[in-house]
Amino acid sequence: MDEATPVVEMRNIKKNFAAVQALRGVDLVLHHNEVLGLVGDNAAGKSTLMKVLSGAYIPDEGEIFIEGKKVHLTDPLHARRIGIEMVYQDLALANNLDVTANVFLGRESVSNRIGPLGVMNTHSMEQEAQRLLDRLKIDIPSVRLLVERLSGGQRQAVAIARATAFNSKVIIMDEPTAALSVAAISKVLDMVRELKAQGASIIIISHRLEDVYSVSDRMIILRQGRKVRDCPVAGDIDEFRERVVAYIIGARDDFAQQASPAVAG
Amino acid sequence: MSLRETLKAQQNNIREYGMYIAFVAIVVIFSIATHGKFISSRNIGNLVNATSYIAVLAVGMTLVIVIRHIDLSVGFLAGTLGAVAAIALKYWHLSVFLTIPMILVMGAIAGLLTAFLVAQMKIPAFVATLAGWLGYHGLLQLVTAGTGTIIIADTFYNALGTGYIPDIKQIDIIPGIHEVTLIIGVLAIAFFIYGEIRSRRITITYHFEVQPINLFVIKLVVISAVIAGITWILAGYQGLSWATVIVLLVVMLYTYIATRTVTGRHIYAVGGNPEAAQLNGISVKRVTFLVFGSMGFLSALAGILYSSWLRSATTVAGTGWELDAIAAAFVGGVSVAGGVGKIPTSLLGALVMGSLTSGMNLLAWDNSIQYIVKALVLTGAVIFDVATRKKTS
Repeated sequence: MDEATPVVEMRNIKKNFAAVQALRGVDLVLHHNEVLGLVGDNAAGKSTLMKVLSGAYIPDEGEIFIEGKKVHLTDPLHARRIGIEMVYQDLALANNLDVTANVFLGRESVSNRIGPLGVMNTHSMEQEAQRLLDRLKIDIPSVRLLVERLSGGQRQAVAIARATAFNSKVIIMDEPTAALSVAAISKVLDMVRELKAQGASIIIISHRLEDVYSVSDRMIILRQGRKVRDCPVAGDIDEFRERVVAYIIGARDDFAQQASPAVAG
Repeated sequence: MSLRETLKAQQNNIREYGMYIAFVAIVVIFSIATHGKFISSRNIGNLVNATSYIAVLAVGMTLVIVIRHIDLSVGFLAGTLGAVAAIALKYWHLSVFLTIPMILVMGAIAGLLTAFLVAQMKIPAFVATLAGWLGYHGLLQLVTAGTGTIIIADTFYNALGTGYIPDIKQIDIIPGIHEVTLIIGVLAIAFFIYGEIRSRRITITYHFEVQPINLFVIKLVVISAVIAGITWILAGYQGLSWATVIVLLVVMLYTYIATRTVTGRHIYAVGGNPEAAQLNGISVKRVTFLVFGSMGFLSALAGILYSSWLRSATTVAGTGWELDAIAAAFVGGVSVAGGVGKIPTSLLGALVMGSLTSGMNLLAWDNSIQYIVKALVLTGAVIFDVATRKKTS
């Protein structure tokens, strides 16, 4: 496949909730092996945009291309089947089950079938889960540990491991560093770097600008359902933060000219 | 590994071991208090038969509670279906081989009806099954209105609740002992030990941690001894009853489904976090239908076992069984919060409650005291459960 073809291309995505225009025509491009930071204030449309990409919301208007092929996502499972994995903010883990069970939740590997019952291939799943943890350098003593006994950072790691388990094309992480200790945050960011080193394409939604700064190649800033900036991440952190905040609060807007006719129309 | 570390590694299992120890303690205490009458072959045989229908309900109830629901309708559903079976045999002159499958299917359909109310109409299970409790109570009185108690004459049907597996006449090594039961017991122990060693070997080859060898051996010896003891006692009376065989088959089948199959994994995932399960492609609705459907099926089986045990269907059959089954499940370590609960320990819970009834009856304790003792045991079991759970997390 052509490396120049973006993994994800979203064009002119619009989504309304009753009278609220959550997304007013957003374009987003994610290239191969790129980490894209998605930032913006509350209600800027970050999560809505990612829910459109992960199939949870169906957009009112706009097109989505995955590796150049146009797709109509109907639900999260459909999105997952074509390689779009979402790491939810609340992680969507079953705390009563062990690490392996959570990594393979809903996609258990079956060794044979007895009538309608699929018999699980537990050992191969455990090995695979262990391999995933090793690959991402995740520090969990055993894949047989119940998730309820893991720390916040370890749980985040399990959720990320699950997203990478099935040849995903793009991994979306919704606030992966929220509610984590400083040490755990740095581990999660290391994991993102590790994934990138292994060739993954990642979108990170985050409130924490320093996290976006430290792992992203490029960033998109949303404000009130519109893209107001799309640029590579570069420069000095303080200057970066100051500039980004200016966009987030609406003091600056790179796409103001394009937006006005759309609003008028 | 130091003892301290060993204990720490075993924290997960302490809850379960505690339950086995409590059961053995109850048996020992009653055996001493009744001068051995409790542990006699005849009493244990009767105890197991009398517990069979509650045990079957407790198995189904475990999964219902695991997915965060409750089913109050199972008692009168079982009673009603037992009565329908009796009517089918006596008045419709249906063959027993037609009656039993028919009743089981009716039970499953009743369970699916409950599931429809819960999963589709979004009615809380407590309310939906309370309606079922009322409805089946009425239905039981309705179907038995013209007849009162219905005597069942079919010998095959009655054998399910009162009969014993046949012995081979030719083999009579130990007089007065049911050899087939002994052979089954020995095979069970052999299979158990083989299975445990095999799974330990596999675990080691995959480089996962295992129980320390000394604890592993103790576990093998204790459980083998318990199986051997029960086998010996049962073999001394009339051997293994069909009701016991049915309960064991149900427990083994459900344990297998719960622990080894995708369906079982999904049931526990829905119990642990329904939203996460749904997001990961597990249909919560499908699981709910399955679990309530199986509960209905097992209610029918309980109804059959009970009516066959009594050789008749009565107008009050099923009264309070739902609460006995729920109590058995909670004593067996099922968590109200959902997602946690094992099938074998629910059987153990049913046996604990059944042993209490049997033992206190032998001691001729008043009913009032019996209820209070059971209340204390249930509360104690749940307190123990909550306390050990807190420690581990």
